[in-house]
Amino acid sequence: MKDLLIVEDDLEMQEFYRNMLNGEPFSVTYVSNGEEGLKKMKEKKYDLVILDIMMENITGDRLFALLRKDRHYKEVPVIMASSLDKETYQCFQALGKVSFLEKPFTKETLISEINKHLQTLT
Amino acid sequence: MLTYNKNTFLNINKIIFASLDIREVYQTMSNELSKTIDFDRLTITLITEDNALYEAFVVLSKTYEYTDIKEGDLYLMKDSLMEKVVQTRSPVIVDDTANSQFATDTVLFKEGIRSRLGYPLVYKGCIMKHQKLFHIDEKKYPIEFKERIIGSINFGSKRKGYYSKKHVDFVSKFAPQLAMAIENTRLFNRIKDAEERYRRVVESSPDIIFECTNEGKFFLINPSVEKILGYSVHYFYDNHGNGLSLCHQDDQDRVQCEILQLLNGEKDSLMDFEFRVIHKQGKVVWLSLEAIPIKQDNKIIGIEGFCRDITERKKLDELKNNLIRDVTHELKTPVAKMEMAIDMYKRSFVTEKELSGEKELHLYHLLQNNVNRLKNIIRNVLDISKLESGVERLNLSDFTFVELVDQVIHELNPIAIQKNNTITHQIPPSIILNADREKIYYLLINVVGNAIKFTDHGKVDISARLTPKGIVVTVKDTGKGLSEESLKYAFDKFYKENSSAPGSGIGLAISKNIVELHNGSIWAESGGKGKGAKFIFRLPIHHL
Ligand SMILES: Nc1ncnc2c1ncn2[C@@H]1O[C@H](COP(=O)(O)OP(=O)(O)OP(=O)(O)O)[C@@H](O)[C@H]1O
Ligand SMILES: [Mg+2]
Repeated sequence: MKDLLIVEDDLEMQEFYRNMLNGEPFSVTYVSNGEEGLKKMKEKKYDLVILDIMMENITGDRLFALLRKDRHYKEVPVIMASSLDKETYQCFQALGKVSFLEKPFTKETLISEINKHLQTLT
Repeated sequence: MLTYNKNTFLNINKIIFASLDIREVYQTMSNELSKTIDFDRLTITLITEDNALYEAFVVLSKTYEYTDIKEGDLYLMKDSLMEKVVQTRSPVIVDDTANSQFATDTVLFKEGIRSRLGYPLVYKGCIMKHQKLFHIDEKKYPIEFKERIIGSINFGSKRKGYYSKKHVDFVSKFAPQLAMAIENTRLFNRIKDAEERYRRVVESSPDIIFECTNEGKFFLINPSVEKILGYSVHYFYDNHGNGLSLCHQDDQDRVQCEILQLLNGEKDSLMDFEFRVIHKQGKVVWLSLEAIPIKQDNKIIGIEGFCRDITERKKLDELKNNLIRDVTHELKTPVAKMEMAIDMYKRSFVTEKELSGEKELHLYHLLQNNVNRLKNIIRNVLDISKLESGVERLNLSDFTFVELVDQVIHELNPIAIQKNNTITHQIPPSIILNADREKIYYLLINVVGNAIKFTDHGKVDISARLTPKGIVVTVKDTGKGLSEESLKYAFDKFYKENSSAPGSGIGLAISKNIVELHNGSIWAESGGKGKGAKFIFRLPIHHL
């Protein structure tokens, strides 16, 4: 089973993820801020990371930049999720493999987005 | 008698090129000369640029304490021995000053000088070999190669008819070297002056000016760097390549890439290249770099340029961009969540799988929560537009201030309790305000609401006192406080210290407008992050 990490500070949003990913063949870990996210990623290497962008202290884009500097996370696929469109964040697409998930999203979009990345992995 | 050998010339030449301080050269040279050639006075005179005057450059006399011709003074060329020397570019001998062949003869005759020899100093040009520290504009400070007369060397003797061809021959053997030494010294001094001027500009520039090698070793950096980045110039001179290591982590690759392109010759300049550097004290400094490669023999050996501190401008830009982004985010997030909630309902209808009671309650709360959030933003946006458009009028009435405060506390208490905060107040019941009651109510809701929002397990206290200038109200909390930057911007429309926190960032902008509409003022104080906040506003009691 693939390991997913979701960093999302909005608890209501987290609940939506839970609902959608419930029963899917992933083992999902949820954390609600960047610091915890970093801690989790140090403990273990996840197969895919979903980052909310607008978070206190360590924002998603900052976290993403940090990840790309990390030897273990250089290549790990990252999905950035935000209610703002991807044009707003175009700048860091240049930094590496990253895709956008615009909120709101449906269960189908979420799962196909995740699978897209996990498939290219294997 | 004139006796000399090869060694005499060797000595004289050695002396001439030993130093770039011409007076020192001249002192030792004249000592050496006096061993060979007999003279009672010796001058070196140099022509001024316009060829009309000459300057007595060195005046030496063996026996005279006093002489009318003084070093550093300017004399008219006209009718002087020197004029003839310069014009003919050949040696001129005066056998007896008593004949007053030249105007200067009279002066020298008074000093007892009877015969004279003037010998031209012709500069044949040579390349300056100074250490190349800076890049001098060669158009402004040309290095000259032409043969040019620069002055003369003049001997004087108390004996009549003393100088002859023998002396001329002797002088001719070292005069060109002397001219060269003098001219080199002058060129050197001119370049030194130019360098000095350049250095002063560099040292006093508010920008960081630098030159460094391919490997990133600095060979020039001005003191501004200490003001801007906190590191002294020595830090840069002593370390290799640490310019890059000071860059913000996220910018290092970008900076390195640009610099490499300059060094490879792929780019011939960098303009307005903006990047972040970490100040010695850890804060982020934004720099704008302009740089060009330094070339030597068509090879790029380093780069030079300057960096301007653009932190303030960047902060404002960023703030502005973030404000727009945050408001959009604030509007779109609740809508997104509501859409997702509605989607969940829809799916349960379509699949005819009922939602559990727990889930349904959760969705209900979510919808209500987000509708409220949107309502709050919409009201704030409408209010601030009305206030800013100036169409708002005050609806004045007299009311007891403490009653209004009680109403505010009553409204906000449920949230305060949820966050484990206690609200207290010390308002003298005697205070009666003449103001727009609804607006002041809203002002208090905003300020006290903030105090509660940014405090957990703490206290919020509202107090008021009358002063000659009006009523001063203080809302004090024990919450997270405000950073220095937040204090500066808190009253700006859309500003939020934490952009992900719920809220439109308009509350305080509205409050400020309301207070100012009443001819009052509002400000914030805080001991810093984590040290609580104080919002204070003053309102005149009566309005006419
Ligand atoms: N009592 C306080 N303690 C700490 N920070 C505060 C306090 N009051 C205001 N601030 C800071 O000032 C910012 C602006 O406050 P403002 O009331 O204008 O907006 P908001 O509370 O974020 O949103 P809203 O528009 O919903 O009021 C806040 O986001 C917060 O960073
Ligand atoms: Mg507020």
